[in-house]
Amino acid sequence: MPNPPPAWVQALKPAEPQGTQLLAQERSQSNIDVDKLGELLHTKEALDKQNSILSVLKSEKVFDKSQNHTLGRTEKIQLALARGKRLQQLKKVHGWSDEDAYVANELLAEPTPYGLHSTMFLVTLREQGTPEQRELFYERAARYEIIGCYAQTELGHGSNVRGLETTATWDPEDKTFVIHSPTLTASKWWIGSLGRTANHAVVMAQLFIAGKNYGPHPFVVQIRDLETHQPLENVYVGDIGPKFGYNTMDNGFLLFNKVKIPHVNMLARFAQVDQATNKYLRPASPSLVYGTMTWVRSNIVLQAGGVLARGVTIAIRYCAVRRQFQDRDAKASAEENQVLNYKMVQIRLLPLLAAMYALHFTGRGMMRLYQENQDRMKAASQADQEKRGAGPEQLRAGSDLLADLHATSCGLKALASTTAGEGLEVCRRACGGHGYSNYSGIGPWYSDYLPTLTWEGDNFMLTQQVARYLLKSARAVLAGKGTANDTSRILQAYLSRRDKGASFDILGNDSDIVAAFAWRTAHLTFETLKYRDVEKRSWNSLLVNFWRLSTALSQYIIVKNFYEAVTSPELTSTLDSDTAGLLRSLFRLYALHTLEREASEFFSSAAVTVRQIGLTQASEVMKLLDEIRPHAVRLVDAWKIPDWQMDSSLGRYDGDVYPDLFRRASQENPVNDLVFDPYPWNDNVLKNTPPKSKL
Amino acid sequence: MPDFTDSLLPKQPTGLEALAHERRHSNLAIDELATHLLGVDGFLARQSKVLSVLQSEPLFSKSHQQNLSRPDRYKLGLARGKLLRRLADKHGWISEEHEMAEYLVDDVSPYMLHMGMFVTTIREQASDAQRAHWLPLIEGWKIIGAYAQTELGHGSDVRGLELEARYDLETREFVLRSPTLTASKWWNGTLGRTANHAIVVAQLLLPDSQGGYVSYGPHPFIVQVRDMKTHLPFDGVVIGDIGPKYGYATMDNAYMLFNNFRIPHSALLSRYSSVDPDTGRYTKPKESAVVYGTLTFMRSKIIQHARLVLARAVTVAVRYTAVRRQFSDRDGPSNGPELPVLDYPTVQIRILPLLATAFALHYTALAMQRIYISTRKEIEAGNFDSLAYMHSMSSGLKSLCTTLAADGIETCRRALGGHGFGGGSGLIQLNSDYLSKPTVEGDNWMITQQTAAYLIKKMTSAVKGMKGTAVDEIDVQYGTYLSQIHGASQTSYNILEQDQDLVRAFQHRATALAYNVYEARVVNKKPWTSLMIELHKLSKAQSQYILVTKFHDALASNTDLSEGTRNILWNVFRLFASYTLEADRYELVFTCGAASRAQLDALPARVNELMARIRPHAVSLVDAWKIPDYLLDSALGRYDGRVYEDLFNRAHRFNPLNKLTVNPNYWEDEIIKGGEDIKAIRAKL
Repeated sequence: MPNPPPAWVQALKPAEPQGTQLLAQERSQSNIDVDKLGELLHTKEALDKQNSILSVLKSEKVFDKSQNHTLGRTEKIQLALARGKRLQQLKKVHGWSDEDAYVANELLAEPTPYGLHSTMFLVTLREQGTPEQRELFYERAARYEIIGCYAQTELGHGSNVRGLETTATWDPEDKTFVIHSPTLTASKWWIGSLGRTANHAVVMAQLFIAGKNYGPHPFVVQIRDLETHQPLENVYVGDIGPKFGYNTMDNGFLLFNKVKIPHVNMLARFAQVDQATNKYLRPASPSLVYGTMTWVRSNIVLQAGGVLARGVTIAIRYCAVRRQFQDRDAKASAEENQVLNYKMVQIRLLPLLAAMYALHFTGRGMMRLYQENQDRMKAASQADQEKRGAGPEQLRAGSDLLADLHATSCGLKALASTTAGEGLEVCRRACGGHGYSNYSGIGPWYSDYLPTLTWEGDNFMLTQQVARYLLKSARAVLAGKGTANDTSRILQAYLSRRDKGASFDILGNDSDIVAAFAWRTAHLTFETLKYRDVEKRSWNSLLVNFWRLSTALSQYIIVKNFYEAVTSPELTSTLDSDTAGLLRSLFRLYALHTLEREASEFFSSAAVTVRQIGLTQASEVMKLLDEIRPHAVRLVDAWKIPDWQMDSSLGRYDGDVYPDLFRRASQENPVNDLVFDPYPWNDNVLKNTPPKSKL
Repeated sequence: MPDFTDSLLPKQPTGLEALAHERRHSNLAIDELATHLLGVDGFLARQSKVLSVLQSEPLFSKSHQQNLSRPDRYKLGLARGKLLRRLADKHGWISEEHEMAEYLVDDVSPYMLHMGMFVTTIREQASDAQRAHWLPLIEGWKIIGAYAQTELGHGSDVRGLELEARYDLETREFVLRSPTLTASKWWNGTLGRTANHAIVVAQLLLPDSQGGYVSYGPHPFIVQVRDMKTHLPFDGVVIGDIGPKYGYATMDNAYMLFNNFRIPHSALLSRYSSVDPDTGRYTKPKESAVVYGTLTFMRSKIIQHARLVLARAVTVAVRYTAVRRQFSDRDGPSNGPELPVLDYPTVQIRILPLLATAFALHYTALAMQRIYISTRKEIEAGNFDSLAYMHSMSSGLKSLCTTLAADGIETCRRALGGHGFGGGSGLIQLNSDYLSKPTVEGDNWMITQQTAAYLIKKMTSAVKGMKGTAVDEIDVQYGTYLSQIHGASQTSYNILEQDQDLVRAFQHRATALAYNVYEARVVNKKPWTSLMIELHKLSKAQSQYILVTKFHDALASNTDLSEGTRNILWNVFRLFASYTLEADRYELVFTCGAASRAQLDALPARVNELMARIRPHAVSLVDAWKIPDYLLDSALGRYDGRVYEDLFNRAHRFNPLNKLTVNPNYWEDEIIKGGEDIKAIRAKL
């Protein structure tokens, strides 16, 4: 690394006032109880655990992040594998749980090549294997004796699983499956941990028995030799190359040339081929898998809050330190203003501050609902076994709730991940020029998060599922067959008052804001239903309407969850009244700012009047910005995101932004080891012999 | 090595067939449109001439560059920059041809500031004697220069710069000094490792009569910062590269500090302001806004660039979504073929308005360029009347156009689905490099204040009724509006059927917003800071109005296009205007009532209808931008549609990672089989 700068440079300080003073001043002007609020968000146990894991990671040189953004692709992924190994070793040494290992990975804040092994591979083996298969595959995988991945998407096929081309043909002669890739577009593609790391894969392939296609099913296939780690014969596998982000992960491609696997390698908990009769059997219904997806999506919503919080923490702290221009209305001698005082900065950052809380509470709410429902279903089935007879309503209520949760989770996943992804870019731009530096800590984080917007179902595609569910519910309500879930409730409420019209007092009454969001959603639902059922418009021509519908429903659910959280006794009894009041303001800001942006739909559904929209824009949102501004720094502090995790000069807790930027540029930047020859007619690019490459 | 994958083909229908089908089903005259867009100033001829030279040089192959580390990527950029200059000499390229080569190679060249801001500043702000001395050195690349204005703690606010240039009467030298760490120059391109000279912007401090110093604000100096032999910085100067960024890996953005570094009196660029060497007396420029000339020039270039960048992203998106198939039609037979995703309105609504936007940016860029050239002439002749107008419009347009292009690239990338995230999309480096634009040359939010301030001033004088002083288009625009609202005639525009009315609706909205802001600020004396969001909206509305007008006027006065092509372009215009209006359509109700409720309600359907009309021509419309495959560097956006073959080829042949065999067992420290282990990797951190 470069030599330290000369003494006269080391003696320089940033211009007054120092970032440290500015943040100290920010913190002193707000009385929010940061610790209490932090515990409410994350629990004390989780925060303590985070601290203890953090201190372990910080003491290991291999986790030093200073060269993360300088390395080439091949160097990067070797380092990532070294880190992945070390994490597993530490897990054993310290007796960490899976949950703890997950926290450690979050703190490291980059995917490792074991990413898909430790999640999708293990989960699939556990959930979809029979007890025999669990012993054969899952137990060994859990000990990392075999390393695997989950190979579903193909070069030519993403969200549409039914379109997959890889085949698994049952051979009744020798009782094996033949795995085969008939075309180039059948190549598995994007499969995490597959490119260089895994020696096994769960392969989704079209099952053929006696010429008949039974659709996609999961098969365990060994793809590399356990000794040499070379691909097995007739398996062609590799990494798909550099990407926008996620470059520490070896996303892979995979082709098979008639590879035989034994009967036991088809994961058989939900479907199997009978060895004796060669018949296809379906022993169990996969409704539990349905539940897993709902859980995964609820988790994405919760995580989206945390992902966004990282960007917002960086941007708010930096905008409190960064000063630019004097206030136009101030005296000529006045100092430059903190940019966080500018309304055009506030209007970008403070609604995102509100959104990260909104997403967090919504994710929590969904997971609670999911858990309650699981418990109820379990209780019901136990009661059934004990022959005491569960009431049919009780059973139906459970499955009905699950259907509602499943459909709404699709839309929420789409909205939450889009909000977080786009929010990060807003945060980056709000940091001005320095946001473009990787030392800002936002850019690479944003590129790593972006695939979340397209995986687990492309965000635009998912919205169709939500719309289909809403239309179905609306038809049921019209036919008088509505159920007790919330979706039916808001549709019924709308129908009962449609002729009278709505008169929501959105500026005077917070619960009316929630009602206005419900009204707009119901209005759009019935309008779309009319297009589809009465005017018989084609499905494709309505896709944009479906997307709007899904967004409206998801916004309603977030607003409702946020409202319930800030009015819940759990919250109001834990926090002092000032802090609780501020969270209430954050709710209002999130809801009213969203309403203002979607003004057209609120207006055309007659949920609000032009006058109300005008007042929201011109005064109410402005008032909320003023109210929240003094507490902004403490409101991000409460998320307790460690500096080490953010790895950001701009977002440092202590505000010492400029010395840190300068230190990294001058001391941690290998480009400064090179002396260039700038003249076109000299062939030398360098004038010196650079130090050995870093990896 | 041959293996069984060599004989595999993509599933039918192939991309090749899909694009051929698209092209057969549009009657758009592609070459005619291409000539109309890019033929007039010789752009297309230059492109094909330079392209053939580049493609025969292996150094310009793009196949491995995404894998390189930052230092290696920079070295490649410098090597290419050198070769380009040599090729320019060899083939006798004029500067437009050299620029074309840079554009096609698509690195942010380490020489960029040398060829851009450095030489431009000397041309525009150096005295005749200074020009005579420096220009031959610069144009012959005998010296390499950069432009150092922004500091660690100071961006858009030039007056806040901290670096001092104190005049020493005794030695007739300026003394450069960085008083603090935040005074460090920062972000200055070409300076980190490449340049040996720089234009340095510093606060000019001159002695007063009491033995103290008075600041005369920021001024440009030309300073040699590195030794010509060793290429090391001089004593008293510290320079380095600021480290890895989101994009711009090939550019050595710099930090630079001075410790009482002395430069001669002649270093101050003195075309417009000067210091008497003997007395230290300051001569003011005739017009203080004159330094904004260069910035305005850079902004007009940025808009020129934005249209090509967006056209490139849209080319990839349109071609790939025409090839990519997913799901069969729900209303069709259950075993129907999967549809090209471009048939889905959820895909169209993301891509087709951006296709229209590329055209809108094009016509505005042409108009800006015309205005810049004429204004430049006026300035040379000592007439500064148009400068304020041009500067303020360029601020708002820079903000809007770069935001549209930056967000547009990302929207296109996401519309590609999963493969958009991969290196084969061709939009990764484009996105990362371009995302610098919304925050450089004036932050996109901050600079809209300049446009708004100018518009408020204009509205104030229009209200005062300063008749007969119509200097620019704004005076006319505001005069018309004021006479309308005073005339109390209800204006309602037929935005669905009349193209001219669409333009008028935009004009009306922008003007009404200006009037509201004028009232709030001038009449009701609201604090500036509290109005910032409205100011931003005003600047945006005015800039949107300019885009719509320039697009409309270009078509209305067009004579070189055949009627068929022109009709398609009219639909493209209508889509751009209607889509832009739709986004905040009820503002027309909220602020000025310029369109009827029924028409506004019908606007989304109108947008759908226009998209359906444009859809069959989408592939041909992007073809007309004639973006070469070499520039696209995209498996997904290839002209021939062989998407999957190319994706596989890149993964298969161009990916160095596949040469490494790893050891995946966590209890073994070995990382590469027979190669490095954890310890070796850790030791190098």
